[in-house]
Amino acid sequence: MNFAFIRKLAQRDLKSGEVALLLISLVVAVGTVTSISLFVDRLHQALLAESASFLAADRQISSSRQIPEEFLLQAQARELDTSQTMVFSSMVFADDRNQLVSVKAVDSQYPLRGELIITDEPFLRGFPTDSVPQRGEIWLDSRLFPALAVELGDSIEVGLAELKITNVLVAEPDKGGSFFDLGPRVLMNLADVPSTDVVQPGSRLSYRLLLAGDDQQLDELKSELDLEPNYRWVSVAESSPRIGSALDRAESFLLLGGLLAVLLAGVAVALSAHRYATRHFDHVAILKTLGATPGQIFWGYLSILLLIGSFAISIGLLVGGGLHLLVIELLASLIPVELPAPGPRPFLLGAATGFICALSFAVPSFLHLRNVSPMRVIRRDLGVPSLSRAVSYGSAIVGSVFLMIWYTKSLFLTAWTLTGLISVIVVFGSIALFLLRGGRVVGMQARSGLKLALSGLQRRRNENTAQILIFGLAIMLLLILLLLRTALITEWRSQVPENAANHFVMNIASEEVKDIQALIDSNVGMGDMLYPMIRGRLESVNEIPAKQWAKQNRRYEYDRGPRITSERNLTWTAKQPDNNAIISGEWWEEETEDYLVSIEQEYAESFNFEVGTQLTFNIGGKVVSARVSNIRSLEWESMSPNFYVIFSPNVLKDFPSTYMTSFYLEKDQKLFLNKLLSEHPTITVIEIDALIEQVQKIVDQVSQAVELVLALVLASGCLVLVASIQSSRDSRLAEHALVRALGGTRRLVGTSLFSEFLILGFFAGVVATVGAEVTVALLQSQVFELGAEVHWWIWPVGPAVGALVISAVGMFGSRELVNSPPVNVLRGVS
Amino acid sequence: MRSSLYGLFFMARNVLLVEGLRKVVPTAAGELVILDGIDLEINDGESVAIVGASGSGKTTLLGILAGLDTATSGLVKLMDSEISGMDEEARAVLRGQHVGFVFQSFQLLTSLTALENVMLPVELRGDALAQDQAVELLEKVGLADRLDHYPRQLSGGEQQRVAIARAFASRPTILFADEPTGNLDTANGEKIIDLLFDLNSEFGTTIVLVTHESRLADRCSRTIKLTAGKVDR
Repeated sequence: MNFAFIRKLAQRDLKSGEVALLLISLVVAVGTVTSISLFVDRLHQALLAESASFLAADRQISSSRQIPEEFLLQAQARELDTSQTMVFSSMVFADDRNQLVSVKAVDSQYPLRGELIITDEPFLRGFPTDSVPQRGEIWLDSRLFPALAVELGDSIEVGLAELKITNVLVAEPDKGGSFFDLGPRVLMNLADVPSTDVVQPGSRLSYRLLLAGDDQQLDELKSELDLEPNYRWVSVAESSPRIGSALDRAESFLLLGGLLAVLLAGVAVALSAHRYATRHFDHVAILKTLGATPGQIFWGYLSILLLIGSFAISIGLLVGGGLHLLVIELLASLIPVELPAPGPRPFLLGAATGFICALSFAVPSFLHLRNVSPMRVIRRDLGVPSLSRAVSYGSAIVGSVFLMIWYTKSLFLTAWTLTGLISVIVVFGSIALFLLRGGRVVGMQARSGLKLALSGLQRRRNENTAQILIFGLAIMLLLILLLLRTALITEWRSQVPENAANHFVMNIASEEVKDIQALIDSNVGMGDMLYPMIRGRLESVNEIPAKQWAKQNRRYEYDRGPRITSERNLTWTAKQPDNNAIISGEWWEEETEDYLVSIEQEYAESFNFEVGTQLTFNIGGKVVSARVSNIRSLEWESMSPNFYVIFSPNVLKDFPSTYMTSFYLEKDQKLFLNKLLSEHPTITVIEIDALIEQVQKIVDQVSQAVELVLALVLASGCLVLVASIQSSRDSRLAEHALVRALGGTRRLVGTSLFSEFLILGFFAGVVATVGAEVTVALLQSQVFELGAEVHWWIWPVGPAVGALVISAVGMFGSRELVNSPPVNVLRGVS
Repeated sequence: MRSSLYGLFFMARNVLLVEGLRKVVPTAAGELVILDGIDLEINDGESVAIVGASGSGKTTLLGILAGLDTATSGLVKLMDSEISGMDEEARAVLRGQHVGFVFQSFQLLTSLTALENVMLPVELRGDALAQDQAVELLEKVGLADRLDHYPRQLSGGEQQRVAIARAFASRPTILFADEPTGNLDTANGEKIIDLLFDLNSEFGTTIVLVTHESRLADRCSRTIKLTAGKVDR
């Protein structure tokens, strides 16, 4: 068979609609994978490009020690760009005003990536600049101008150095920092640091050497330098590991969801390929009588499949491209960066998926055609040996597992997904069989449409079980998403007490405490006290170095928690805080002069602290010791400031600190924030309610993107339904034509079909609802640690949705069956 | 082109030779003997009708003679090639080279036009497109104005005429026909019979056909009657 002949056959098959379903299924499979992969690929590229600016370089070497000269020389020898910076906290003074600030000192090469943004007046929109503060100059954060009562051109003191304010600093690329490093920033020249004299033994400083240039040179430099244990090498992936790995995980999970659509499309491909092959048995027999060899049949039909597959893949890639633009539109407000043009990888992934789908699910049926005997032209009753189940199922399973591993890049995740899928098939299949088994009837029961439907369900029990399984799964996933979307936020909110604090205020200077407390007390109904806060780290426990203590005492179940020497927020108070309950020991007297400390319960358990344990902390280079006088539990959901470590007043009262507090504001009281901030511009206010709304918005938008994937899953499920209707079409046609020939009306046949699909859909909805409730209950209790509850509203909704979708799709796919003339039975025409 | 008169004046060439042919099939009730020791010879240019009651084995015999099926035992030679020992690949090649078919249910490819159906045997052989020959054949069978029509657009008689044209397209040495008029009314059946034998005379093809119709059997030069899987002597 030459190519022209094969092409002709393929074109005729395409035109006649013989392969429409096979084509659509492949398009769905390719489109799903391409759209997901395109979206994630573009986002990944964009964020990687942005990440470089997060470091202000391609790589960083950071340390609390001065960077050795040797590192700099080696980098320069490799023709890498270099820049040095220092970051430290310090007080700055302007006449009689002072402020605790975060100082960044930079050299003239800074930044190597990203941009510095400055402006001419405080609180104005900024613009990029190539320069940095010159010697004798300093740039200030907008907030510092009212705080220090200064203007551009004035001078301020940093340590012993007097520096002139020449610009307003709006943003720097590598701001980063911890959540509590929210103090205002100043930028000065690195060469001025010695004159400030703030660098003393024990000062807490961060030294950084920024590097930029050829990736290979950077990697070779890393391997040459003696970095451990004091110097940390930071790259783009490490600096934004959450972004990189989150995107990888997101792609895996989205592709896994998309894989479900691909697998279902594959089932539709298999069913439609099987039907195509069956309907071509006679054609093949004719071709064989005319001299076509089994080899020619094999290659000829394989070529037809490849032609049709290629056509489908081309359309699928276009559809995928369009779909991904829809996803971008849905998530527009969440994407902070401009997306670059896509690379070739998503299209290759989509095309490869289409080929693998076609090969795994369609080829066995097509290849089986070579086994058709030419005798079939004379003996129509001559059957064709059944396609080996090992070949057809084996091929499908191998293809599916290959795709699973490829998408997830994880054998572990693949194994778990397979386990989950098999479990679902077994459980749902059993439920479906149980539902169908009920009401076993004898005969066709053609007395009424409903009874005819029930007998039809029984006769086609295997394929109906598969339908219930597939649709049940698709509807279940949608229900789970719907339930979780609202449950997480609503239920978390319901567990937080009414009128719990929804605003946090931090960076309150000690001289502002009285004013702010008075403001809060007079304007806000439910405010907390102001808590002093200072950063410190545990140095020793009962005079044993902390690390050694942890090695000997840490409980394994807390292994993943913070290290014992991690810096913590420390506070002190005379009174026991309201939402803290004493578990062991006693709270101290208000006037006590003893050096005592109170420890939170989980923190104490994880490191085996007890009442009487002596703890020594290092705070800004100074060492203080205190004895554990009590262990207490906290109510985290109270939204009050909560501390793991609370000292008695004497211990830390002389340490400089900032203060924090929280309070509750109704929506109509928000104007109070303007007053608070205008009178105290250097404080930081965090609006929790706005954060929750933002999170809700993110959850909603991401859910929409996931729902798009699930909609594709549902579409694939519909394809499978149509394919299975088609595969049973001939037997249904003969059945219904016979019923009509024997006196049954079109109405009887129509009612029977509608009832069959309605019941099928109802059962699928029941299965979906049960599955959704169980899964959501498990997720809520085991993963999100929220209470599990029954969602009564989905019990009518799930079965109704199933009944509606399947009956609509089913009736659409079966409309010609209702009209099949009885004379077709006599003629044996299909 | 050879005339069937050729065979009258020269030693008739053996086209089909069958010796001791047996066909046995397994069934639930044990082995069923469909053909039981068939011996026959068919010479070049002959027209042979195989007749017999339903279940006598005539369709099975036709299938084996044409290389569509294999015997359980015995010898079958087609054009001096022993097809009884060949695999399907080799038999398909032989069919393509020497055999034409006409079936009761026409067996046209529904996705091809009348012209394309007639061209099919030649295309399968990989020969250069013989469109002119196909057009000529369709003209001979009276369908010159239906070249681009699909089978569904043709009546039963017209479809059978296309099938006959297709059967002669590859200039077969031997043509097998299984109840060629079985699905046709009397008038159309007559026309088909005339057409078949007219083309047979023109091309000098050997014909072997299975039929219930006496008028068709009477047109053949020889009749072989089968009863219960054996040839009546």
